Amino acid sequence: MPTRIFFYLAIACFAIATTTSTRLLAADKPTPTAPITQPDAERLFALKVAPLLKSKCLGCHGEKPDDLKGDLDVRSLAGLLKGGESGDPSLVPGQPEQSLLFSAIKWDGYEMPPKENDRLTDAQIELVRQWIVAGAPWPSDEKQSELRKAEWSVESNEDGLIVKTSGGLADEWTYRRYDPADLWAFQPVKPTVAPDGQHPVDWFLTQRLNAMGFAPTEEADPRTLIRRASYDLLGLPPSPEETDAFVKLYSKNPEQTWEQLIDRLLASPHYGERWGQHWLDIVRYADTGGYSNDYERSNMWRYRDYVIRSLNNDKPYDQFIVEQLAGDELADESVRARKRSDEKAVRQTRLNGDYTPEESEWLTATGFLRIGPWDNAMVKVPEARQIYLDDLVNAVGQTFLSTTMRCFKCHDHKFDPLPTRDYYRMYAAFAGTQMAERPAPYLPTENLEGFEEGKKRVEQLLAYAIAEKNKLVNKRETAARKWFKEHNLEYVSLDKRKSLPDEVKPTRHVGLDYIEQGKLKIREQDERIWTRRLERYESMVQSVYNGADAQVKATYARKLRIKNNIDFTKQPQSTIFTGGSLEAPGEKVQPGVLSPVGLTVPQSDLEDPYRISSDLEGRRLAVARWIAHPENSLTTRSIVNRVWQHHFVNPLAGNPNNFGAKGDKPTHPELLDWLAHNFVEEGWKLKRLHRLLMTSHAYRQANTHPKMKELLTQDSDNHLLAYFPPRRLTAEEIRDSLLMATGELNRTVGGLPVMPEINMQVALEPRMIQFSLAPAYQPSRTPEQRNRRTIYAYSVRGQADPFLELFNQPNPNESCEVRDSAAVSPQVFTLLNSGVMTDRSIALAQRVQQETDRVDEQIERAFQRVLGRSPDSQEKPRMLAYVEKMREYHQQVTPEPSVYPAKITRSLVEELSGRPFEYEEILPVFENYQPDSKPSEVSAETRALADFCLLLFNSNEFMYVY
Amino acid sequence: MTLPHNLSNTNRRDFLYGLGASLGSVAFTDLLAAEAKSDAGPLAPKKPMHPPKAKACIMLFMEGGPSHVDTFDPKPKLTEMHKQESKRSAGLATGFRFFVGSPFKYNKVGQSGIEMCDQWKHLADPEVADELCNFRGCQAESLNHPEALFHMNTGSRLGGDPAVGSWATYGLGSENQNLPGYVVMTELALPQGGSRNWSNGFLPAYYQGTRLRPKGSPILDLQSPGYKNREHQREALKELSFLNQRHADNHPEHTDLAARMENYELAFRMQTAVPDVIDLGKEPQHLQKMYGLDDPETEAFGRQCLMARRLVENGVRFVQIFSGGWDSHDYLERGHSSRIRSVDKPMAALIKDLKARDMLDETLVVWTGEFGRTPDNNKRGGVYSLGRGHNIDAMTMMMAGGGTKKGAIVGGTDELGAEAVDCVHPIRDVHVTLLHLLGLDDNKLTYFHAGRYKQLSQFGGEIIPELIV
Repeated sequence: MPTRIFFYLAIACFAIATTTSTRLLAADKPTPTAPITQPDAERLFALKVAPLLKSKCLGCHGEKPDDLKGDLDVRSLAGLLKGGESGDPSLVPGQPEQSLLFSAIKWDGYEMPPKENDRLTDAQIELVRQWIVAGAPWPSDEKQSELRKAEWSVESNEDGLIVKTSGGLADEWTYRRYDPADLWAFQPVKPTVAPDGQHPVDWFLTQRLNAMGFAPTEEADPRTLIRRASYDLLGLPPSPEETDAFVKLYSKNPEQTWEQLIDRLLASPHYGERWGQHWLDIVRYADTGGYSNDYERSNMWRYRDYVIRSLNNDKPYDQFIVEQLAGDELADESVRARKRSDEKAVRQTRLNGDYTPEESEWLTATGFLRIGPWDNAMVKVPEARQIYLDDLVNAVGQTFLSTTMRCFKCHDHKFDPLPTRDYYRMYAAFAGTQMAERPAPYLPTENLEGFEEGKKRVEQLLAYAIAEKNKLVNKRETAARKWFKEHNLEYVSLDKRKSLPDEVKPTRHVGLDYIEQGKLKIREQDERIWTRRLERYESMVQSVYNGADAQVKATYARKLRIKNNIDFTKQPQSTIFTGGSLEAPGEKVQPGVLSPVGLTVPQSDLEDPYRISSDLEGRRLAVARWIAHPENSLTTRSIVNRVWQHHFVNPLAGNPNNFGAKGDKPTHPELLDWLAHNFVEEGWKLKRLHRLLMTSHAYRQANTHPKMKELLTQDSDNHLLAYFPPRRLTAEEIRDSLLMATGELNRTVGGLPVMPEINMQVALEPRMIQFSLAPAYQPSRTPEQRNRRTIYAYSVRGQADPFLELFNQPNPNESCEVRDSAAVSPQVFTLLNSGVMTDRSIALAQRVQQETDRVDEQIERAFQRVLGRSPDSQEKPRMLAYVEKMREYHQQVTPEPSVYPAKITRSLVEELSGRPFEYEEILPVFENYQPDSKPSEVSAETRALADFCLLLFNSNEFMYVY
Repeated sequence: MTLPHNLSNTNRRDFLYGLGASLGSVAFTDLLAAEAKSDAGPLAPKKPMHPPKAKACIMLFMEGGPSHVDTFDPKPKLTEMHKQESKRSAGLATGFRFFVGSPFKYNKVGQSGIEMCDQWKHLADPEVADELCNFRGCQAESLNHPEALFHMNTGSRLGGDPAVGSWATYGLGSENQNLPGYVVMTELALPQGGSRNWSNGFLPAYYQGTRLRPKGSPILDLQSPGYKNREHQREALKELSFLNQRHADNHPEHTDLAARMENYELAFRMQTAVPDVIDLGKEPQHLQKMYGLDDPETEAFGRQCLMARRLVENGVRFVQIFSGGWDSHDYLERGHSSRIRSVDKPMAALIKDLKARDMLDETLVVWTGEFGRTPDNNKRGGVYSLGRGHNIDAMTMMMAGGGTKKGAIVGGTDELGAEAVDCVHPIRDVHVTLLHLLGLDDNKLTYFHAGRYKQLSQFGGEIIPELIV
């Protein structure tokens, strides 16, 4: 067992402090107090005022002595007494009200420091006041240093706690003090106890509720409950039949019926899709690499399916962590064991991909290490490397540790006990991580549907690009031949004439006008794009391998493969980059973990228990095992907080990606700890946790509370969870629910990314990539292929599906800890007017028409399908009248037929000429396309009914889960 | 109900209750005639933090990186050194490099004598030239297009932060609730990095840039499909309102519902307001001509400039126009001359037009790219290619109106145009200055997100006083 080192030594406050000064120094007491004695005032200056001046003022008034803002020098007493350009002294000892310094920090007249973020608290202002009142003593540097050092041996005083870490860049940081409340996340999980016979969730919640004078509210009705549970676990609504059956049974035996429902939902393969989406939000899943080229990551879908599979199989979370962070190292270890430590065989296997299914699964998991946006176009090799590693380190911190690592990359953390040394120790732990597409055999469970058709289409597009390119190349070379002949020179091929002087060869684009030059570039780029796209159909994974940068040298986003001749004994070397700058390497660092967590590295025999071995191999595995350690309080709180969030709409700790001092503190810390502790005790199983949370009364409670009015004033953010908060459906839930209502949803799990129909204007809209335009978006050919769940939709960093984007699908460049759901007007346009919505409304109309001939029954069915209930006595006649009225309307109009172009003309401003030109792009999918039913193909009756269906899809009742 | 923190339930409720009883109960026919009365929405006009110089901003974004030495920053020394070997080690290029003199001649124009290359015919008109302020001191940070675009547009190269226009509308709201507060127009092609360039980032979604598309529907799906007329739409909204109102009655505690219902009303108003404002047919012939709408070379940009004026006139806070094709690594002469021709006349017309309407003083016009270009180049395909690479150390910006100096050159680059040497400022300072002109203080225009108050400049910047009257 590792030793947990924790540092809150409950040493009483200052032995030397008098009672008066203790009170005076208390930072949380801004009330003006009586003057203090001279020695106390000197201590006050050394310990409090001087550090304040340094951090808040010297940036502009001292650090650059020849560029003092307002001519004011705060580095010395003399400077303050002299004052700035106004001519008045900034400091009048004994007279705070006459001191400009004092009025400025109060933001009374001058506003200093000028940034909201840096503004002094009332308590800090009071400290400065006391110091001025006491005559503003300014002891010598030596004396100040003496006073400060004396204080360092006191671990805990009324100013807070000193946290032991691997050490900051300066002693002031190392020995600074923290409010214990801000350190909650770094403290060990406390095994809190809930009394027997009580549901722990309810017990903890009710404690607080009662303390505030409220009682829990009643239970929601069963119809609400099944919809809530179904969306929560599957991201899909229950079918009308499921709802009816549930409601019936629930009235007889609520507990058993409820538990059976939860078990049934957890056993559904769609559970992994729903919760996989939450994971993909955090890790920033996309099928492309973003930035300039936005290259496809052709096998990334296998990582997406790994996530879904892992969740469906209820893989213990600790294992899930280790696989994603070090799956390749696990695979190596496994091969090594199989091949009796034959290193050559291990190396050989890396290249030929002769892996067992388990090893292959591990490699697939490392897609996590490849998931951030990255492209090295126009970026120098070391910088591209740094961008990758910074992104990776931050992603690891946010995802698993709820720690935003970026915040201590350039300096020691401003608010949390995280030294920049720890950032670079983690950076070093990943420093040998090299990106590569690696061979990894498919598992029998992986879905390989559509490979043949997809590959054929890509080959067709590739052939077209090559043929078009060749036409232009031939034209150019014909002109070149002519030129050589006219100059009585022998023809030299393009490659060979590159090195010739200008005088003895034709111009670079001889024979091509600017339009043809532009086209040639497009076709050449297309050839690269489609060649690359063929990798989709190879059994590879987006993965990593270990190697020192000095060995690997340059890597290019376009083609990433394991380099053959690497000496694996060479260790990567790492340093702190001062200020985060590559050009400013500082102190050398060895790989390690975050020291303030107080959890040492398992099995570490190093002198520093927060360090891990510097060998090239195994660095990530060591970090992963540290993260996945039962006593890693950041990890365990992080995951239970996220799971809570997606059941109860809001997390317990408000910033699931940042547990630091500046994140929201947990509303129910004891509950959070209970859950974290229990989660680990019971084997890191998520399905068990879902069951636990969902069997609480809190999860089953109604959306209202008898004392709603009081609650809205006393607890406007519903932190008490006195009632169940409603939420808007996510983008994916909206689309999936539409398809489910219409009966079009194809429930196949996993496989190649699918291309739903998106707004055609956007699909065909040109989009710049490096040197060229990206190919147009072509939807999948058949409705079955298109109408898969949204998690399988092709996710392109440079081109969002406008429908999903409008409903707040997150930008995959940033980890999304919580989704936005702001209602903006373009959502209305899409929901009312888009082709996608028109098609769904017709599909639903057709579905209910097939079920029954009577319009009133059709209306009834549509209500059931979309809202899960029957229309009431007012709704039914009114909707009937509406459909009738619309039928009359539609009998008078003839919709235009829809057209899908098999070819489009695109236009681009050519960079070399600066002039626009056009070229043709083929869209072979539309040659043999199976569109959805269109308005022009259906009767006026169907269109009228579809108008009504569209209303249901737009209704708030559909859009919200209660 | 995953509301962003700053829009706490309390604020949000205030806003919704502020809409009063009209919700759902007013017939849409009435709304047709009614102006947007709600003055408490997230885009309602807000008081600036200090007296502003500019009320609105039009940013003309030249994607690709226009060459400063071939537009507004003459370098005779470079002409002397044309095709001589360059030993500079900057940027990424390796191998043999040579200097490239500008193919263009330079003139001093207007009373002020500011400098521009002879390709600028319309901007050179003294009436326009003497309104311009050329800033030569800006330095970018990223050598590649998308990162540099993100940086110039959002203050961060990562592509996840709010755009300048989002910050401006967050700080000031918009004067017209029937139009988006922040409008973006692009050429046919999206710039690299796409819509992340005008994203609201971590700000609430109300502040994202709305694209007015040059072709097809200006806002996606703004109008119903052709076979559904406005009467049909009105009928649908009436029935939807009926359904939603019954639902809201059952859920009085759920305040988000009202916001969503109000959105349908707003959307219905936008359906007429947007086509109105973008209908350039309402402009007199001579103005259409002045903007170059009669010439294929200037038509696209001309339309967008004219539309920008109409939008600002109608209360839109921030308009951005992206014009691509400035990435002249080769054949710079024809590339840049063609690009200049396509923007010169429309931009000059915009400035004249704003001036004639007394709008220039309160409208800040900014012309910029994401970075500048190098004084030298490498061979391409073994040939001396007469173009330039990306340069983050020097670039050029042109500003007009909105409290910027008239007929002024601010800052300077070295004799080769390799690096800014006078009045040197990072991008964040330009952003801070831009906000300042709009009456906003970057240090106070903050939004609490992920544990800290965030701001456009990231960690603060400086106003560039030299640019301001």
